[in-house]
Amino acid sequence: MKTPLRIVALAVSAALSTASMSAHAQTTLTVLSGGSQNMVDYVTDYLGPLFEKQNAGVKVVVVGVGPDDAGSQKILEKLQAQKGAATWDVDVIVPNQQKTGEMANAGLLLKYRDSIATGKYAVSQSSKQALGVNVDGYVMPMFESQTAMAYNPDLVKSPPSSYDELRAFVTKNPKQFGYNGLKNGMSGVAFVVGWMYAYGGNATALQQGPYDAAGKASSGWNKAYADLKVFNQSVTFTPGNAGTLDMLNRGEIAMGPVWVDMFYTWKADGRLSPSLKLKLLSPGMPGQPYYYAIPAKAKNADLAKKFIALATSPAVQAEGIVKRFNWYPGIDANAVKPALDPKVWANLFTDISPADLAKNGKPFPIAPFFTDLREQYEKQVGN
Amino acid sequence: MSALTQRLPKLGGAILRSVLIGLLAVAIFGPLLNMLIWTVAEAWYFPAKLPIRWGFQFWHRVFRPEAGAMAALWTSIIIALMTVALSLLVSIPAGYALSRRTLPLRGVFLLIFLLPQAFPAIAVHMNIARIFYGLGLNGTLWGVMLVHAIQGLVFSVWIASAAFASVDSEQVEAARNLGATPWRAFVSVSLPQAAPGLMASAIFVFLISLDEFSGTFFVGVPEVRTLPLTMLNAALEGNYQIASITALLLLVPSIAFMLFVEKFLKADVLAKVGT
Amino acid sequence: MQKRSSYPLALLLLSPALLMVGLLFIYPLGYSLSYAFRNEKSATWDLSNFEKAFSLYGNDIVYTLVILVMATTLTGLFALAIGGYLTLGENKRAVSFLRWLYRWPLFIPMVVAGQLMRTFLAKNGMLNNALMSLGILDPINAMSMLDWRGVVITFVWKQLPFAALLISGAMASMDRSMIEAARNLGASRLRALVEIVIPQIKATLLVALILSFVTMLSALSVPMMIIAGSPTMITVDMAWRVNSYGDYGVANALGFISCAMSGVVAWFYLRHSVREQTATR
Repeated sequence: MKTPLRIVALAVSAALSTASMSAHAQTTLTVLSGGSQNMVDYVTDYLGPLFEKQNAGVKVVVVGVGPDDAGSQKILEKLQAQKGAATWDVDVIVPNQQKTGEMANAGLLLKYRDSIATGKYAVSQSSKQALGVNVDGYVMPMFESQTAMAYNPDLVKSPPSSYDELRAFVTKNPKQFGYNGLKNGMSGVAFVVGWMYAYGGNATALQQGPYDAAGKASSGWNKAYADLKVFNQSVTFTPGNAGTLDMLNRGEIAMGPVWVDMFYTWKADGRLSPSLKLKLLSPGMPGQPYYYAIPAKAKNADLAKKFIALATSPAVQAEGIVKRFNWYPGIDANAVKPALDPKVWANLFTDISPADLAKNGKPFPIAPFFTDLREQYEKQVGN
Repeated sequence: MSALTQRLPKLGGAILRSVLIGLLAVAIFGPLLNMLIWTVAEAWYFPAKLPIRWGFQFWHRVFRPEAGAMAALWTSIIIALMTVALSLLVSIPAGYALSRRTLPLRGVFLLIFLLPQAFPAIAVHMNIARIFYGLGLNGTLWGVMLVHAIQGLVFSVWIASAAFASVDSEQVEAARNLGATPWRAFVSVSLPQAAPGLMASAIFVFLISLDEFSGTFFVGVPEVRTLPLTMLNAALEGNYQIASITALLLLVPSIAFMLFVEKFLKADVLAKVGT
Repeated sequence: MQKRSSYPLALLLLSPALLMVGLLFIYPLGYSLSYAFRNEKSATWDLSNFEKAFSLYGNDIVYTLVILVMATTLTGLFALAIGGYLTLGENKRAVSFLRWLYRWPLFIPMVVAGQLMRTFLAKNGMLNNALMSLGILDPINAMSMLDWRGVVITFVWKQLPFAALLISGAMASMDRSMIEAARNLGASRLRALVEIVIPQIKATLLVALILSFVTMLSALSVPMMIIAGSPTMITVDMAWRVNSYGDYGVANALGFISCAMSGVVAWFYLRHSVREQTATR
């Protein structure tokens, strides 16, 4: 028993000494990123090194926590857990809309936007409101993400352009359309939300409020959910956001709702045929930004502000967000566009035109409606 | 299966045996082959049944210096070894005590150790993290070791208790009658006999620690970053290449540790078993 | 040895492990569990979270139980077969090949296993593709196993080496003289396995199965990655309650139910060991 113990002891002391050494050398800026792997890679490969070059002695460390509510919930819990401490070990966070709203309500965020130079570029509605929660001043959008219908043009010659046409398509081609239900990722949730915008009645109230607990706005829901239940009989269910892309990859479904940014990553990584295309259904499918925010008691808050100012500068948004990743910029598009080759800018709109995006790109419902909507699905469709 | 083979003529038995073992081999290596192919697939999509483009592009991505995969791998291995050491340290006495079936409240104690596995951790992590922050253990290797050890404790304690329970009590009696102190009897008789079980539990604890990421996130991040943490994102969103390569990387220390334990077992312990 | 150790000594030996679990798990768990009985709306303590859990996820609770019982049973049967052959097999080469073979899935993290199976068991996945290429399967009959079958297969694949390792270890360390005697009297190997070997390793078998059951019960990634649509397993529901609604109440009620399931299973083991103890007296 002696030999292994000695080895363990040696390894431990070696590890502890290296750990403490590196801690002294520099300041570490910690970034927790919700969202996809490509958003983590973006900080690891591009933004982090760029920031380190401009700020000697700073090391940027980014940790990905996974996509959707699950990832952002982890960030929220990590902050909640150290609420009592004087300083927190996280400097910059990249959460989704719903959890950002919850964090702002729980007093976990720092109001910083007006103290950075790029604050003026935050012009979108979503940089002020996150699902109806006022986050004005607490956030800068990193990029705008959108859900859309991905389809295989070899299998679907004339893709549906609205929810009505999709229903007709599914009647004619059962099991060719697939989505991931409700509990398995936000692209499925987004599809359901789009369905409710189309058939639930009063979509504007859902998106902008006010919330009415009496249920006037939700009077059309029962019918819409009953129809969805019937519709679900002829669709293929997929295991998760990635599961939908996965089934498209293997040709098991011909069409399904996906996040646009994930769709491009899968193409770039060779997991989707380059021939696949996107289409935004009318009357609209939801999208949301990922935000940059600073925890209320971040250890390196000033450095964090500097980091976000860099990340939301027109040059970085142009080069990093649009050119490298083909994502919609988070800040004012009019500031980003001049910094880019028009061809690169046009690439953003290969499948979905700016007019389509403006017309059919919708926000998610305000938080209380969003909760009701999901719970009603569970009660009326899921069981 | 064994009864059949005996009754059939020898050749028939041999064929049946080969077929059954062959099927098992396919069942075990089919999914693993899938993983190996993904590690070198640069493009693989419908309708191709095998990758369209092969290559090591994703290996470069995993090993690019900015991502720090090797440093994370070392951290993972060190934490796993520390976790094994701690688990053995606390579970040998605990397992020894619990091996006595007449121990009052034995069932309650065993159930207590089962809890960390029985309760899906998702709703508890925040509260665990809060305790660790309060104790100043967050961001330290010690904290991560503890959180892993708790997950593994049910394996180490339950298996240790089963291992000590199967120790031949007559031999212990004999040693005591020959004048050995209880400690001496424990070290020279009980411990060697229980060793195979303890070593098996060490392997399980090592693997649990090596694969764990949720607790590591809440207790270790940002200071302590392990390899599974980097894999988490890739795995959750279907980046098969990255996740497969990472899994392959984790395979190396796992197998090395098992071979090490087995070699150590054969040399030192198996010789003593039955003496 | 056991008779001489006293109760205080036993408690002393147990205390480091108990302290660790108590302080770092049971104590925070207590906070979480108390949410299960908390009614946020009326700010009182009641069972409303359990009512909601059963009404929304009753099917999932049953589904989870059925999947786990199936997966645990299959794991146990296969592990006994492997352990039995390793102990009683007469062809040395086959035995050593099997010993080398069965362990591999042990080293694959659960989350990766889920992912591998998702691309392996799908309708156009690697398994069906291989069968179709070999002409065994007609493309029209190809179907996806991404439902309870996929989960059971993944769990068995992942847990079998664990159970087999424990069981074959116990079989290897048992007294062989009885097996030899039975074999010399003409008992078949199957009979020797069922009547002599298995009764002797019953305790280890139960431990292996309970630990497998509990591991599978708390696995989130496998059902999340493999089950398409509903019904699904309760870990997925727990994650959904927390992540989407921030609803720790129902999530913890589900966790409580999950604990109760493990408790019932563990009770079988405890009852067995008590019976054995009275039998040896």
